[in-house]
Amino acid sequence: MNCEFLKTFFTDPMKLVGEWFVILPALVLLLSTAAAVVVRNLIHAALLLTLSFIALGITFIALGAEFVGFVQLLVYVGAVAMIIVFAILLTRPDQLTKSGSALSGIGPAGGAAIGFALLAALLTFVFSSPMARKPLPASVSAPVAAIGEALMGDYVVVLIVIGVLLTAALVGAAVIAMEDKP
Amino acid sequence: MTLQIVLAISAVLFALGLAAALSRSNAIMILIGIELMLGAANLNFIAFWRFSDNPSDLAGIMFAIFAIAVAAAEAAVGLAIIILVHRKIKSVEADDASNLKG
Repeated sequence: MNCEFLKTFFTDPMKLVGEWFVILPALVLLLSTAAAVVVRNLIHAALLLTLSFIALGITFIALGAEFVGFVQLLVYVGAVAMIIVFAILLTRPDQLTKSGSALSGIGPAGGAAIGFALLAALLTFVFSSPMARKPLPASVSAPVAAIGEALMGDYVVVLIVIGVLLTAALVGAAVIAMEDKP
Repeated sequence: MTLQIVLAISAVLFALGLAAALSRSNAIMILIGIELMLGAANLNFIAFWRFSDNPSDLAGIMFAIFAIAVAAAEAAVGLAIIILVHRKIKSVEADDASNLKG
């Protein structure tokens, strides 16, 4: 353990641990997502989904997109996972009338079959494309200052439209879920 | 480390989200599946930005940020609709909400 090691650890962790810096959070991401999809208990599914959102954020950070990674953590872990848990608690399944609906959908087997078919098609294209064999370029970064300038410059119209959309969606969500409509 | 690995990871994530959205009858699980598919799309945006020849062009980052914002709005509206439907028909199963009349 020397000074050089510590310097590399803080300035360029990618160089030190190589691709494991990306692969490890990605493995956690895939395992927790698969578990969230299969478990029967909704609360367990929501908690595993939170873990997979955290792993996705860390994967973004490992790929060099720190800002998007932290936005992912704030928005998904802080807000989306929270309202999913609230929605599950507000709609407790134990007080539901069990349905004997004739519409049964395609069922787990059908869903898994379609998922596997799509996965096979996607992986075939990914592994046969010459473009996808590109090696990793030297470490890149997206400084937050540059992102801020781009948001207020080239993308300012999109930013305003997204702001209007978010306001309308959140006011609409509050009105939809309101007990007594005015 | 090549682009293939990241694209394969996001393909698996997308397929898991699609399988969840198609096979579960609970409306909350369908919404979770849609969120997973959006996450996979974001991972692709970031991967193509990371492996591009011109990383100072921030289009990939911008798309990911805007997609996260739209996904948050979609989750809020979707869960509000699920709560409203639960109040009306006492069920969150998508198959039970088969009545068009309000």
